Amino acid sequence: MKSIKDLLSKITVENIKIELMRTAYGNKDTFMGKLDPRVAIVWYLIFAIIPWLFWNNTILLGFLLYMVVLLSISRVSPLIIILLAFGLVTEAGYIIFVSVMFGGDLTAAMALLTFTLKLTIISLASIAVFASMDPEKFSDALMSFRLPGQVCFGISYGYRMLPILIEEYNNIFNSFRLRGKVPEDRGVIHWKRVVYYCKTAVFAFYPMMLNTAKRTRTTVEALEVKGFTYSLKHEEVRKLKLSYLRVQPRDIYFFIFTIFLIITVIYIGHLYPIEREIHPL
Amino acid sequence: MNTLISVKDLSFKYPGGTENILNRVNVEINKKDFTAVIGSNGSGKTTLCKAFNGLIPHFYVGDIKGEVIVDGLNTREHSVSELSKKTAYVYQDFENQLVRPTVFDEVTFAPLSFGMKDFKERGQLALEMLDLTSIKDEFIWQLSGGQKHLVALASVLSLDPEAIIIDEPVAQLDPVNAKKIYEKLKLLNEAYGKTIIVIEHHTEFIGEYCKKVIMMDKGQVVWQKPTKDALNNVGELIEKDIFPPQVTQAIHRLYQNNILLPITLSEGIDFLKNHPVSIAQQPYPEKVKKLPTPIVSLEGVTHGYKTLNRGMNYVFTDLDLSLYEGDRVAIVGSNGAGKSTLLKMITGIIKPKHGNVFVCGENAGNTPPEKLSEKVTYIYQNPEEMFIEDSIRKDIEYFLKVRDVPDTEQFFSKLVERFHLKEIENKDGRLLSGGQQRRSSMAIGLGMRPQVILLDEPTASLDISSRKEMLLMLEQLKDSVKTVVVATHDMQLVAEWANRVIVMDQGEIVKDGSSHDIFSDVALLEKASIQAPQIIKLGQALNLNPVPLSVDAFVSCLVAESGEEKLEIY
Repeated sequence: MKSIKDLLSKITVENIKIELMRTAYGNKDTFMGKLDPRVAIVWYLIFAIIPWLFWNNTILLGFLLYMVVLLSISRVSPLIIILLAFGLVTEAGYIIFVSVMFGGDLTAAMALLTFTLKLTIISLASIAVFASMDPEKFSDALMSFRLPGQVCFGISYGYRMLPILIEEYNNIFNSFRLRGKVPEDRGVIHWKRVVYYCKTAVFAFYPMMLNTAKRTRTTVEALEVKGFTYSLKHEEVRKLKLSYLRVQPRDIYFFIFTIFLIITVIYIGHLYPIEREIHPL
Repeated sequence: MNTLISVKDLSFKYPGGTENILNRVNVEINKKDFTAVIGSNGSGKTTLCKAFNGLIPHFYVGDIKGEVIVDGLNTREHSVSELSKKTAYVYQDFENQLVRPTVFDEVTFAPLSFGMKDFKERGQLALEMLDLTSIKDEFIWQLSGGQKHLVALASVLSLDPEAIIIDEPVAQLDPVNAKKIYEKLKLLNEAYGKTIIVIEHHTEFIGEYCKKVIMMDKGQVVWQKPTKDALNNVGELIEKDIFPPQVTQAIHRLYQNNILLPITLSEGIDFLKNHPVSIAQQPYPEKVKKLPTPIVSLEGVTHGYKTLNRGMNYVFTDLDLSLYEGDRVAIVGSNGAGKSTLLKMITGIIKPKHGNVFVCGENAGNTPPEKLSEKVTYIYQNPEEMFIEDSIRKDIEYFLKVRDVPDTEQFFSKLVERFHLKEIENKDGRLLSGGQQRRSSMAIGLGMRPQVILLDEPTASLDISSRKEMLLMLEQLKDSVKTVVVATHDMQLVAEWANRVIVMDQGEIVKDGSSHDIFSDVALLEKASIQAPQIIKLGQALNLNPVPLSVDAFVSCLVAESGEEKLEIY
């Protein structure tokens, strides 16, 4: 019980903010972080599609292993790993529970677990890419893929605003607490308090949105004065802005290695398949 | 041609507005001027400055007559992007004008957006001019308020503008950082030949740094004078709710006759050397007696935050403090000294990592803030964060309503009356002016019937008349609450209001005493980077002991020896 309390006491707004910012900006010098963002995005797209093409568990496990190795050299924040693990464990538990409860057996569960495996590969790929990619680079990569300038700016600006928003939300949440009233009667396993906190957490969003809307006036003016509109209209600004993006030999080696690895895994998968028998209907 | 900005017969009305915000304004600003624009709220200062960089008429499309020429460009015919290379603008809420994650991204953003090939060099140069190269790679959100303001200045400086407009720099900054900003502006003006325009009502800074003053009233320029002449119009300034420097006020009250009044501290000291005064010594103020049981006590409190590199940043280690009934405490110290954390700890929002906090007999460490708030109220620095309902009246009622306290109508109505909120009680707090917001936040606090009230920077970003109102409200608090604690940078407030001052430096209490004790300890002021009010420095220069804390006290212990009668007090 005490350890749970200790764990819960670590979930403070301050810690969440730090973890988020660390995830966003703190991994510039990892292997994945140093890749050219465009290469990283293409790499991610490959691994978002390829798991759907196979039902061979050997191949999928091979990809999973690759992802785990990549993640282990990417210094991903524990918060993200915990969230992912939580999702996976509850999902696997639910699958086994449902298939056994509703008269199926473990083969049904196995089929669904293959599906979970695919989702896990994709999740890990996205963590490997996005947790170590600076939002700035991500936004610039999107710009070089010719997405609208407002969208690209929106991504980097959103990250810049995140800590301010979290802080503001925290203050307003506390403002509710400083004037609110906790139910005296706690109810079974404190459920009344839980309801009170959840309600407060939702209510606190509204003042935050209004305050933010008010603040953006200055931001919009400042953007205008600093030539944001000008930059959208002029192609040479886009080129200047993206001129720092260069594909390095490292990117090419990484790409070739990945292709080679995919082929090898598929080959091994065909030699030693772990495959469910597909029953004809 | 020496004129940089010339305004001819400019009138402007915001779209949908009923009155002209600017009314036939004629003014000229020369190259390399350092000009202050003063005037009461709503006199059109900000609107005029927005006409200088083309936001008016290009961004705010209102009714406009007359013309503005900036460095030969007519603002009507040239776009905002062209004009922003001539005049730069630093906002009062400068934090919202920073749009990029790191300092270097921010300072290169404008030249990059305009497609200037040398954008990196420009950003670098701007950082060097303001001595910011050491924080080049820092994230904006980790900077202090003073650093953010300098970055906002650097980010507009990177376009190499002719003129820089700064809207109320002192309002959001502590005195030490405000002085730093002015020193930088002075440097930009003198060494780099920039024209500086500040919207300002802190006349002490105007006296020290500005060369000219433009006075605005009701959308018109009343006059434009050299600073010395401008600040000598003591009567007129006070009528417009602008207070001349304390030195000027004091000498003005000592000498009725028409002399040229000093406008800076050093001028004041010189003046008094040549105009001898006799000193009527004042008795030391009595010390407040402490009751044996404290209302709030902190025992061995340790607290810290995690930092980005997984280290721990200790705010307090082993802090002890007791607050008593009748205390009017001012907590002072530079940003990051731990003032806000201390206040939040007393409310129970922040729980100490080690040690105990007791508030009115309750242990704040294991009492939820909802329960402690029946004893103690915390007033946020930013009132907007206290507006959780859609009208002021509902906000004031919230606390007692959720507790189902009966018969409160009369209490609320009285409160609304007392804080002059009758006309605006049904409005959303966010739509009010700064002064109204501050009054509302006080009313919300008192609507909780607290014994202890904690205020975070109650006078920050208030204009002078709202500030005066705030002082009055603080004065009246003693009738309804037992202990008042204020965390502040406003040393005039400290000198005139507090009966106990706690100086914090890096999470430690370095001094706990009366205003006299604090302000006479020069080494301490230096260490905790506190700027004593001008009148106290003047008193110290005259070796007055005890040093007078306000202009009133100063005047009452000096007698002018020029043969003239002493002036009566206005």
